Amino acid sequence: MPMLAEQKKRTVRINGCVASAQAAKYADVDVIAAYPIRPYTATMMALAQMVANGELDAEYIVADSEHSQLSIAHGAASSGARVFTGSSGVGVQFAYELYSPISGSRMPVQMMIADRTLDPPGDFGSEHTDALSTRDMGWIMGWSCDAQEAFDNHLIAYRIGEDPRVLLPQMVCQDGFFVSHITGDVELPDSGQVKEYLPPYKHPYPLDPRHPVSHGPQIMPEQGPPLQLERARAMEGSMAVIEQAHEEFAKIFGRKYDPWVEEFMTDDAEVVFFLQGAHAVTARFAIQHMRERGLKVGMVRLRTIRPYPTDRVLEVLSKFKVVGVIETNMGLGSVSSGGVLYAEAAAALYESQKRPLMMSFMAGMGGEAIVLKEFYWMTEKMLDAQRRGKIEKRTHWVGFEE
Amino acid sequence: MSTKNTHIPDWLTVPFAGITPAPSQEKGQDLFPTGNWRSIRPVYRDKLPPCNNACGTNEKIQGYLDLVKRGKYLDAYALIKEDMPFPSVTGRVCYHPCEQACNRGKYDEAISIRAVERFLGDLGQALTNDVVKPGKSNGKKVAVVGSGPAGHSAAYQLARMGYAVTILEKSPKAGGLNRGGIPDWVLPQNILDREIERLEQLGITIKTNCEVGKDVTWDDLKKNYDACVLAVGLTEPNSVRAEGEDKAGVHYGLPFLRDIGMGSSQVKLGARVAVIGGGNTAIDCAREALRQGAAEVTMITVEGNSKEMPASPEDLHDMLEEGVELLHGRAVTAVLGNGKVEALQLHKARFSGAINASPITVDREAPAERFAVDNVIIAIGQRAALNWLPAEFKNERGTIKMDKFGRLGDTNFFAAGDIAQVGSGQPLMVVNAVGDGKRVAFNLDKAVRGEKLQPRTIAVDVIFDLNRMNMTYFPHFPRVQQDMLPSASRKKTQQEVIQAFTEEQAVEEANRCFSCGTCNACDNCYLVCPEPCIARPERSNGMYKILVDYCKGCRVCIEECPTGCLEGVPELDFDTGVVRMDTAFAISPGLHGRQAQELKNLGERPAKNI
Repeated sequence: MPMLAEQKKRTVRINGCVASAQAAKYADVDVIAAYPIRPYTATMMALAQMVANGELDAEYIVADSEHSQLSIAHGAASSGARVFTGSSGVGVQFAYELYSPISGSRMPVQMMIADRTLDPPGDFGSEHTDALSTRDMGWIMGWSCDAQEAFDNHLIAYRIGEDPRVLLPQMVCQDGFFVSHITGDVELPDSGQVKEYLPPYKHPYPLDPRHPVSHGPQIMPEQGPPLQLERARAMEGSMAVIEQAHEEFAKIFGRKYDPWVEEFMTDDAEVVFFLQGAHAVTARFAIQHMRERGLKVGMVRLRTIRPYPTDRVLEVLSKFKVVGVIETNMGLGSVSSGGVLYAEAAAALYESQKRPLMMSFMAGMGGEAIVLKEFYWMTEKMLDAQRRGKIEKRTHWVGFEE
Repeated sequence: MSTKNTHIPDWLTVPFAGITPAPSQEKGQDLFPTGNWRSIRPVYRDKLPPCNNACGTNEKIQGYLDLVKRGKYLDAYALIKEDMPFPSVTGRVCYHPCEQACNRGKYDEAISIRAVERFLGDLGQALTNDVVKPGKSNGKKVAVVGSGPAGHSAAYQLARMGYAVTILEKSPKAGGLNRGGIPDWVLPQNILDREIERLEQLGITIKTNCEVGKDVTWDDLKKNYDACVLAVGLTEPNSVRAEGEDKAGVHYGLPFLRDIGMGSSQVKLGARVAVIGGGNTAIDCAREALRQGAAEVTMITVEGNSKEMPASPEDLHDMLEEGVELLHGRAVTAVLGNGKVEALQLHKARFSGAINASPITVDREAPAERFAVDNVIIAIGQRAALNWLPAEFKNERGTIKMDKFGRLGDTNFFAAGDIAQVGSGQPLMVVNAVGDGKRVAFNLDKAVRGEKLQPRTIAVDVIFDLNRMNMTYFPHFPRVQQDMLPSASRKKTQQEVIQAFTEEQAVEEANRCFSCGTCNACDNCYLVCPEPCIARPERSNGMYKILVDYCKGCRVCIEECPTGCLEGVPELDFDTGVVRMDTAFAISPGLHGRQAQELKNLGERPAKNI
């Protein structure tokens, strides 16, 4: 396999899509399965340029649909290739059939998601429902909040997914537009660092005519449960690997991330936002402003939703009086009649001795920005609940209520 | 952690992500069976081919044709010898009911089975040592009275079972009807001599000029042997019961042929000869008459036309080709002449009921016809001469009294061949006598060992319907014809009329066999199976195996089986090899495991006495 040309560490100003493409290049992927859909298209374009310019030696396959795109990714991974693919919105959903087979056959395919609101009607804005709808398919999944984190998360995810103890596919998600199309400074590492961090990929049983094996054979009914248990073990077992991968990353690249949650100004916080993705950037500003006014508000950002860090969420959120979940996703008819983040956070807290009050905010829907004054409004709702000792209602539609 | 302390039991251990070794042709897909998709299971179930079924001695005809096709001539010869001691003889003389039954006859032309049998028989004749060996001696002695087809067959089978067999033959030469009833131009004597030699090589003693009732008494047989097969044949010719039948120049069919066969014939035929009778012996007599110097031979039959004659159509055709005339619907009412036959008086006649099975009605009102002849040969069947037989074993019709196993009372005496079969409705043919001799030998063996006699039966399902096979695999192809001497020259010689197949002809003809209902290792199932669910260690009938754990029951092999040997049997009929979706109801781990592949629970099929 040809190695990536020597790269020196440098900082560039690129958007999230290009950061993802750069990460794929640094990971020296073998096969790229592409099919255009905005906003992911920008990643596909950037990779096409890299391959065309000879910067990256990879098979670049343009499929006829997302279903084919993921099928190509599945097949390529089965032959032992490191695979990169990606999509957005309804494109993510069109490939749905493939998610379980890929994780079930334990192929560490990596998929970049630049979130896009699901139809109807056509809307390019970011909403996490596209990727979240696949959250139980056995893929390791988490959100970045800016271009640098997106770049880093791709490398970390390959390291986790390809670990022989894990062997699971990964969805590396970023908000459409807010990350994918907003430029920021991204530090591109020295290629030696990547080489040190990410060893060459080796599947234990690749398809190889010299050593024939059957992938995905039909099983007897009784053989289903043990295989499912093995997949569940791999997902749960990945937690230790995820923590190790983040520590190792910090050591080599100097950027330290908490693998599960980012806590912002939570030391003495009484009310916190619980969210994932790009709105954390706005939230940080809003919190700083409110702190200046003496409000004890903070933020907990979920970085990895699969596997779900149940114990960590329980431990962290139990510290606060009120938790306001900012969904950025649709869970129509869900337990909170809002989104899906609330349900899992609430479930994680069920065993807590000190359960906070919880409410859900439907904000940033359809890719709308969540502006500062909406953060203030949400904070007011949380403080009000703290004062009364109970919530007024479980879910608020931000911007549509007094 | 939900998966903490989980344990996968050994019997459920699965490979990583279910990734398994690729299926092989030997083992198929060993893991992850799909057998539970199946509602129909393919089963190899060989049927009895119609030729085997029709054969009087149930020769494994499809079997030896298949071997000939593959060039395994010696194996084919050995197979035929299981049921037939002298294929070189029946390969010439048999009226081949197998060919009449051959399914190929409904498609284009029947297989020339007899010619292939002759090819194998002649091959056997050329062997220095025969493939058949005597059985391990059991110390028992058996006398076989008569060395015709039935006696020959019984002696042969008994010697193979280990009996010390003595054949008692009243004529100076052994062979019975094979020698005395079949002209040389059908069966050359040296062929029969060689087959008699083979009997002697099996350790059989042949005493010629030894007539039961004259040279040996019933009591002698009883005293000197542990058992006895009576296969004396029908020796006394039937009479037409016409006035003047005793005139000089009147001959009877079988004695006429027999004397010529034994070389003791004094017969000098005149120019015009009439043969009375419409059967195969009559045909042989008519054709022999030409060879004995007759210029004009006419066959006079009661049957109204040639189709009604109980004769082989081929022989009839060959006879007509040689110039024999037919005169139908006549009965001889008197033999005219002064001391010597000069003419026949004929009257119009017909069978009163069924053809050949009812009394003859002679129309005496019609004017008598005069038919001028120099000689007459009467060939209207024969009857037994049983004056030596104790009265207790004779029935009211004067034939032998025996049970369905051919046994005389509770003695170790058995009757076989024409004396046993006459009146049974079976045509009296060499091959039927051979079969009877074989069955009687088996019955005798049981009786001597003190076992209870039971019909030997096997499950019988004969394919008569071409739709039960896949005919798209069989291109139309004409029958390979045996060469024949030209009719003009052959009718004056004793040379064999029908010529032998060459090796190429035999193989070509054997290749036309459909192998009706019987696996012939064509490999089609093995090739068409979309999965490797059919395993075979070698390409050979009986070696194909359905991997029931994996077979999805797609039926492709069943549909594409050319011979119809593969059948689809509903899975519910099985209680072994079953792969069922019973996880939720399993009462013990691995209940749906692999079990032996056996057919159980399948209903009994009609059996046939062989």
